Amino acid sequence: MSQINYQKLSVLVADDFSSFRNTVNGMLLNLGVMHVDMASNGDETIALCEGKSYDVILCDYDLGHGRSGQHVLEELRYKQLINANSLFLMVSAEASRNIVMSAYDCEPNDYLMKPITGRMLEQRINRLLTQRKVFSEVNDALKKEDFDSAMTQLVDMSVATNRYTVMAQKMLGELFLSLGEVNKAEKLYTKALEVRQLDWARLGLARVKQLQGELDTAGQWLDKIVQDNPLYLPAYDVLADNWEKRGDGEQLQSAVEKAVTVSPMSILRQKRLAKVADDNQDVRSALAAMRKTIKLGRLSCHGSSDDAFMFARMAARAVESNVDVPHTVAGEAMEYLHDSQKQNEMSSEQRIQCNLLQGRVHACTGRRDKAQQILNDSFDLSDRGKIQFDTDLDRVGLMLGLNDKEQANELLEKLQRQYSGDQQALQKLDVYLDEPASDANQEVVASINREGIDLYADERYDEALTCFERARKQFPKHAGIHLNIAQALLGKVKAGDYADDLERECSSVFEMVASLVDKKHPQYSRYMRLRRKAVGLKIHIHS
Amino acid sequence: MSDSEDKIDFAMVLASSVHDMKNSVGMLLASLEAVIEEMPPTNARQANLFNTLHYESSRINGELIQLLTIYRMNSDFLPVSIDEHYVVDVLEEQVARNSSLMETGNIELELRCDEDLAWYYDLDLVGSVVHNVLVNCVRYTKSRLILSADIEDEFLHIRIQDNGPGYPDTMLRSPTDLVDKADVNDGDTHLGLYFAECIAKMHKQNEHKGYIKLENGGELGGGVFSLFIP
Repeated sequence: MSQINYQKLSVLVADDFSSFRNTVNGMLLNLGVMHVDMASNGDETIALCEGKSYDVILCDYDLGHGRSGQHVLEELRYKQLINANSLFLMVSAEASRNIVMSAYDCEPNDYLMKPITGRMLEQRINRLLTQRKVFSEVNDALKKEDFDSAMTQLVDMSVATNRYTVMAQKMLGELFLSLGEVNKAEKLYTKALEVRQLDWARLGLARVKQLQGELDTAGQWLDKIVQDNPLYLPAYDVLADNWEKRGDGEQLQSAVEKAVTVSPMSILRQKRLAKVADDNQDVRSALAAMRKTIKLGRLSCHGSSDDAFMFARMAARAVESNVDVPHTVAGEAMEYLHDSQKQNEMSSEQRIQCNLLQGRVHACTGRRDKAQQILNDSFDLSDRGKIQFDTDLDRVGLMLGLNDKEQANELLEKLQRQYSGDQQALQKLDVYLDEPASDANQEVVASINREGIDLYADERYDEALTCFERARKQFPKHAGIHLNIAQALLGKVKAGDYADDLERECSSVFEMVASLVDKKHPQYSRYMRLRRKAVGLKIHIHS
Repeated sequence: MSDSEDKIDFAMVLASSVHDMKNSVGMLLASLEAVIEEMPPTNARQANLFNTLHYESSRINGELIQLLTIYRMNSDFLPVSIDEHYVVDVLEEQVARNSSLMETGNIELELRCDEDLAWYYDLDLVGSVVHNVLVNCVRYTKSRLILSADIEDEFLHIRIQDNGPGYPDTMLRSPTDLVDKADVNDGDTHLGLYFAECIAKMHKQNEHKGYIKLENGGELGGGVFSLFIP
């Protein structure tokens, strides 16, 4: 076991207690290690790793104030300061590795529980370095993207019976899945499951089903896995992906919410939750998740000014459209924008976005003159050169915040022309347009409308309404959808289902349409026709 | 907000302070082992004092881990991750962890385990059970311990034997019932056995469940602790 050449190893020890650092240093010297560096906090650790690559990093989880060992690991991986051949060992006083780690986004190579003794350290380092040696050719092949070679080696290793078999099987499964070798992956996981119902193999098989398009089956298996082991975090992520693939936003949100409950410190999952909730128009949840993201982002490499921007957009939109949120969110958004200006290095583009968003928040809190000033200044900026699409969208946001519809529409039309070939950009524009410009969203509206119209034709008015409501939620400015709702409501009244709230609903729909269409609008004549029909049914319409 | 929400959750406060204590005891143990190494005892009296210091702090450490684990078990936040591991790894690690304790106590520890023996269990949880039993045995054994593992009827059987006076009759009859009836003044709450049994039970395979067993006799004529994992 001791064919490890300790003299050649370079080791980094990170701990906030000097006595612990010295003790471990002494143990390493006893083993014959010549190069030991030491760090007392997260920033120092990262700085040392930027200058030099270590074979082994022994990092305490608790590094005192500031960043924890987990933040350090995240950043080292993110900046690619450690590779597959270096070892990161998380040292902690905790009783179980999973307790600390299940709460995060990435995993170290191994865990060491304090107190550490010299013999323990020797055993562990020996074992891990030997393992690293065994897998070094595989890792090299993976790094060179020579997947055939990696696969051949892993296949041999995964059928051998030794202490590397399981790890080889896990790596091979991942490799098969990433290369789309679904049937091979299925065989591997099925075989592993013949011996034991292990979580990793069950999850692997569920992912196989997902890739094979059997989303129902995959979903059932995933439900079973989290039911048996409610703290098995990776299963929630795959479960969320599964609902996303099935196009069920509500279930997707609930799966991500569960993942976040199990791992409240995971910034990437909080971010995903914010986005998913926002897509579902669940403003309160979106704001709450974004707030947590910003908090976690202060120490994490995954935090960025964009998080503050995202919060500001959500908050401004909520205030502008009178969604029931605490009135403090606007001030909070302003604070985050301010902080990000102070703390982060921003690109010139981000600086403009930040300004525009501050303007928008000013506008929705009644400081119109400040907002107007920022908008005016932004024209000077945009004259200087090409401006990014997202920045232009923030200008649209500010214009609308100032109720300057004419200018906003002008810019939107310009953007629609400019990005006519860019479906992704068009999808983002759809939120602001009367009718979607992107192919995907046009299809969404068309298919929901078809479904609703069929239901309407069958006189199933309530179901038709539910259907149109779904479309309206996604495209709140789509006149056609509003008129479909009006038509279905009138159908209900005509069928004898008359009630006060039905009249109120009808009236508010017509009010909305009136604000969207003018005489030139293609839906104008339909709007007038339905209005007359409503009057004929003795429905009182305001204005 | 109701009154109950304003009240401090004592269990949580306790858990987080236990966490801090564990950190401190960890430091204490590490410094103590460094002291013993730099200044080895020169007479029997010193050796005895070191031994007591070492044993008692190891015991506190083990108890604190147990408390934390049981707290998490009760609040459903104890992740169990069962995978295939080499049994000798978990045993060797506990021997290494306690090697200095064995030396100061002048105890000869023999490890018997097939290098190729692999089984399915949670590495940390089984490791902490073995650790606690070893520390406990240091207190009761005369001079020898045997730590061994093998497979018996589809169960992994980890056994720790000593040449001490053996377990008292009350414990042999119903080892874990004693937790509820524990007499605090007695000095031993038998929490360790309760902990061991909980962890054994978390390991399930088909209709089998893990369990623990206490006996007297064995190869060394003292206490025999057994952990069975299906």
